[in-house]
Amino acid sequence: MSKIWVLARKEINFYLNNPLGYIVAAIFAVFSNFLFMKDIFLRGNTSLRPFFDFIPWVLMIFIPALAMRIFSEEKRTQTIELLLSLPIEEKRIVMGKYFGTFVYSLIALALTLSIPITVNYLGRVSLAEVIVSYFGVICLIGLFLAISIWFSSMTKNQIVAFLASILVLFLTIAASGDFFAPILPRALLEIINIFTPLYHYNTFLKGIIDLRSLIYFFSVSLFFIYITVVNLKDRQ
Amino acid sequence: MIVLDKISKKFKNKTVLSDISLKIGEGEIIGFLGPNGAGKTTTMRIIVGYLKPSSGTVEINEQDPIKHRLSVLNQIGYLPENNPLYYDMKVDEYLQFVVDIKNSTGDFLKSIIEETGINDVLSSKIEELSRGYKQRVGLAATLIGNPKIIIFDEPTSGLDPLEQEKIRDLIKKLGKRRTVILSTHMLSEVADVATRVVVINKGKITYDGPKPKTDAGIEALFKKATS
Repeated sequence: MSKIWVLARKEINFYLNNPLGYIVAAIFAVFSNFLFMKDIFLRGNTSLRPFFDFIPWVLMIFIPALAMRIFSEEKRTQTIELLLSLPIEEKRIVMGKYFGTFVYSLIALALTLSIPITVNYLGRVSLAEVIVSYFGVICLIGLFLAISIWFSSMTKNQIVAFLASILVLFLTIAASGDFFAPILPRALLEIINIFTPLYHYNTFLKGIIDLRSLIYFFSVSLFFIYITVVNLKDRQ
Repeated sequence: MIVLDKISKKFKNKTVLSDISLKIGEGEIIGFLGPNGAGKTTTMRIIVGYLKPSSGTVEINEQDPIKHRLSVLNQIGYLPENNPLYYDMKVDEYLQFVVDIKNSTGDFLKSIIEETGINDVLSSKIEELSRGYKQRVGLAATLIGNPKIIIFDEPTSGLDPLEQEKIRDLIKKLGKRRTVILSTHMLSEVADVATRVVVINKGKITYDGPKPKTDAGIEALFKKATS
C-alpha cells in the first residue's frame, strides 16, 4: 500500500472519529447553508453566485481550523520524532497529511451540495456552471490547505498556526478587493490582484476553466507543500 | 555495525555533544548510561538520523542515516524517550499503521503481540491504556519489520518496579538476536541487561568498556565517570 495513502487514511480516520473533525465540518456546512438560505426568497432568483462569493471567507476559517493540528500537534506530543524515525520520506509525510485533510475537506464541502439541490428544486440552475464553480472552490481549498499546513509545520502551538493562517488568507483575499485601495496606486493594485487566489477563483465562477488559473493554484500549492517539506527536513 | 566518529552537536551556542566516537558491533547490548542532560537522547537521535551532527560522521552498516535515510531506518527499531504514541488510535490500528509504513508483511505481528503481552488490549484505544501497556505497545511497534538494531531511549521511565522488570526481561530476550542500545540513567537496568557499558557525561564519553561484574561496581564506575 502506498505510504502516502497510509498517512492520508490515518488523517481521514482522525477527522471522522474526533470531535474536531465532525464539529468543524458540521459548523462549516450549517453556516454555509444558513448564509445562503437566509436571503434566498428576498433575492428572488436562483443564482448560486452569492454562495460562491462568500465561500472563500468561510474557507478562510474552516481550512485553518482543520489544518492547524497537522504538524503542530505532532510537534507538541513528540509523535513527530516517532514518525520521522519510521522509514518514510519527509515529502511523503507531507503529501499524505495534505491529501488526507484535503479529502476530508471535500467530504465537508459535499455537505453544501444541499444548496444547489434545493435551488434546483425551486428553479433551474446551470449544472455546468455549478460544476465549474465547485471545481474553483476545490482549487481554493487545495491552496488554502497548503498555506495552512506550512504554518502548522512552523510551530508547536495550534492556536498560533490557526491565527497566522487566517491572517495570511485574509490578506490574500482582501488584496483582490478594494481593501488596499486607499493606500496603494490603482496600477499596482491591478498587478497584485493577478497574484491573488480570488482573481483566479473568479474565472471559475464565470464558468471558465482557465489553464492559467489551474497553473496558478497548482504551482502556489506545490510551493507551500515544498517549503513545508524543507521545514520538516530542517529540524536538524 | 554502528560507527560514530568524532560526533559533535551544537544547538545555537550550546555544545551538547563533543567529540563522541563509538563502535558498536553486531549482537552487542550496550548500556548507554549518563545523568539527565548528558547527551544520551541527542546521541540516539543522531544515530537514527532524526538529528544531523554539527560535525563528525555516523555510519549504520556503512550507510549514512541522513543520506540513506530509508535504508537505515529499515534496519532500526527505535523507541523514543517518553514513548510518543498516537493516542487517538486503537492498538491494532496503530500496529497496522506501522506495518504499512514499514512495508512489512505483518508475518511476525502475531508473535510480536504475544511476546509483548498486548493481546488483551488490541481493540482498546491507546489513550485508555495504563502506562505499562502503552510502553508495551511502543515496544511492539519497535519490533515490527524485524529490525536488526533496536534503540531504546529510557524504556522503563515512569513505570512501577514490576513493569520495569517485565520490560527489562523483554529487552533481554530481544538482545539475544539483535544489536541493542539501551539509553538510560538507571544503573539497575544496565546491570540487568547490558554486556557493555558506555557512560556519557556533559556531552563526552567518559567510559567505554565491559560491564562491571557487580552492581556496586557499576555504581562506582558511574560515580567516577560522572564526577
